[in-house]
Amino acid sequence: MAEIRLKNLTKRWGDFIGVDDQSLDIHDEEFLVLLGPSGCGKTTTMRMIAGLEDPTAGEIWIGDRMVNDDLPKDRDVAMVFQNYGLYPHMTIYDNIAYPLKVRGTPKADIKPRVERAAEQVELTEFLHRKPKALSGGQRQRVALARAIVRTPKVFLMDEPLSNLDAKLRVTMRAELKHLSRALQITTVYVTHDQIEAMTLADRVAVMRHGIIQQLGTPDDIYNDPANMFVAGFIGSPAMNLINGSVQSGMFITTGGTKLVGIGGPDRESAILGVRADDMSVHDAGEGDIDVTIYAFENTGESTLLTVQWGKQRVIARGDRHLRKEQDDVVGIKLNPDHLYLFDPESGDRIRMGGA
Amino acid sequence: MTDQTTPEIELSEAQASEFWTGKRKQRFWRSIQAILIVLAAFVMLVPIIWIFLASFKSHVEVYQLRLFFTPTLENYGTVFEEPYNLGAKLYNSTIVAFVTVAFAIPIATMAAYSFSRFRLKFETTILVVILATQFVPAVVIILPFFIMFRDLGLLDTRIGLIMVNLAIVMPFAIWMIKGFIDGIPMDTEEAAMVDGSSRLQVIKNIVLPMAAPGLVTASIFCFILAWNEFLFALFLTNRDAVTLPIGLALFRGEEGDLWNLLSAAGIIIMAPMFVLALAIRKYFVQGMTMGAVR
Ligand SMILES: Nc1ncnc2c1ncn2[C@@H]1O[C@H](COP(=O)(O)OP(=O)(O)O)[C@@H](O)[C@H]1O
Ligand SMILES: [Mg+2]
Repeated sequence: MAEIRLKNLTKRWGDFIGVDDQSLDIHDEEFLVLLGPSGCGKTTTMRMIAGLEDPTAGEIWIGDRMVNDDLPKDRDVAMVFQNYGLYPHMTIYDNIAYPLKVRGTPKADIKPRVERAAEQVELTEFLHRKPKALSGGQRQRVALARAIVRTPKVFLMDEPLSNLDAKLRVTMRAELKHLSRALQITTVYVTHDQIEAMTLADRVAVMRHGIIQQLGTPDDIYNDPANMFVAGFIGSPAMNLINGSVQSGMFITTGGTKLVGIGGPDRESAILGVRADDMSVHDAGEGDIDVTIYAFENTGESTLLTVQWGKQRVIARGDRHLRKEQDDVVGIKLNPDHLYLFDPESGDRIRMGGA
Repeated sequence: MTDQTTPEIELSEAQASEFWTGKRKQRFWRSIQAILIVLAAFVMLVPIIWIFLASFKSHVEVYQLRLFFTPTLENYGTVFEEPYNLGAKLYNSTIVAFVTVAFAIPIATMAAYSFSRFRLKFETTILVVILATQFVPAVVIILPFFIMFRDLGLLDTRIGLIMVNLAIVMPFAIWMIKGFIDGIPMDTEEAAMVDGSSRLQVIKNIVLPMAAPGLVTASIFCFILAWNEFLFALFLTNRDAVTLPIGLALFRGEEGDLWNLLSAAGIIIMAPMFVLALAIRKYFVQGMTMGAVR
């Protein structure tokens, strides 16, 4: 039971900045996801919380204690490593029991607790095996069981699902979610997978180049991105970003097409962001604009139309019963409630008047 | 195409070269390889077999290259009697080798762990210097050792020999064990720290068990080095602390080389090596390959 507070946390190696003066409050019992592309400083942030990396500057608080000078063992956290970090020379039972043993839990308590943790992740029948004799998914569950066998103040998980195959990842994701709701322990979860972030998080911190770009609920970062990076990083397919300008309240593409009314002052250059889901596909002439289909893809649950839009290509999502051919002409209509405008220089969001 | 006659066996050049590729070629090289291994083993084993046989022969029979003779255990008795007194030398060798290993491995492990896990100032330099000490020819430093030991009263003592042997085996032990510790993923240690272990507990519970094959390998290696050490023992001992290899020299008497006794003593020197090799063969191979693959 603890909140985590990071105050102006910085990590530098020589001139290279891994984490750049970041502050972050993580609430008690919250599931916070650090999301960002590879190399943006997520792992470094987490390792500083665990005490495996010393911050160059700044403070780390767990509960009401500043832990900067505490050893990892004294921080009362449990961590799941990307490569699981299992003890290859111990059986699964001993792996899970290790945190209890080394902290001097009475012998009589250890067995029932290990068995309960193993049961929670469905490992009971493998307790006598060595890690080598387990599959990737099973090893991952051992790492998880080792974390939940105690009740630490904080869970730290560094891309725990990234070594699993796609199908298993979806199953484990649901199990993780279920488990975290049941345990109600403050969790910091690192991933580069935006779906994991969206599905698991209470709040998401999107990172880039060692800087948190936006902190918010999954809804916030999906529907109200703070800048072009967040907008482009969240969502699949990625948000369409269309170059153009604003003249007398209309967005005009670089190609000169008057597209949609968005209001606000004139701008020589601006970028319009629109998600594939916020464009509807109609017959030619019935949308805001007529476009030619560059590629038509049927994913089963929906269809994706990559269309040629002046000099740019844009992806729109269509109904799953829609059938079109390459080079067909269709009309596209934009949902005016879900359009985003960005400054092409800074990437910052331009809040539209009225919207 | 149902013609049953034997096809003409006239290979074109291309076919001929074809003949030498693939499976056939592989099998050819395999047999060459096997022959070479047998040959090498033979070359290495012949002297040992000769010594083994000679150790059961009488003085007269030694020079007869007969396979059939009446074996006798007499030599093994004689070497332990006056004036040879091999027992005392065996005792010295055993003490020196065991104590050397007992000190070298723990110290080397600690050093290797630090080299592997902490970034030290001049780390590479120190490591290279440690290894470089081994490239100094022993004869060059024997004299300083002799003078120093004389002044310290360490001449002809087992403690003196143990110190010399430590100096010999430590660099190898450090380098070898460092290789094994390098092979232990950092993740595993960090997981143990987060799980609640102090640094010492990490070493005891994680590093040592995982490096066990490497430690065993290094121990054997050091034991063999210390057991066989000749040059320093030759110069730094003369009566009380004489070891087995020096003891061998006793069998060069005025009446010529006593090959039957020499052989018996030789077998006594080699015996522990064979026993060790058999006992921990599995570990050794595992250790050697682990160090190599890493
Ligand atoms: N020990 C280190 N020394 C130097 N640079 C490092 C070190 N550890 C990480 N980095 C760099 O810091 C950046 C952030 O790393 P990391 O936090 O692991 O990223 P990720 O978001 O992928 O987890 C990367 O560019 C990485 O190369
Ligand atoms: Mg990472």
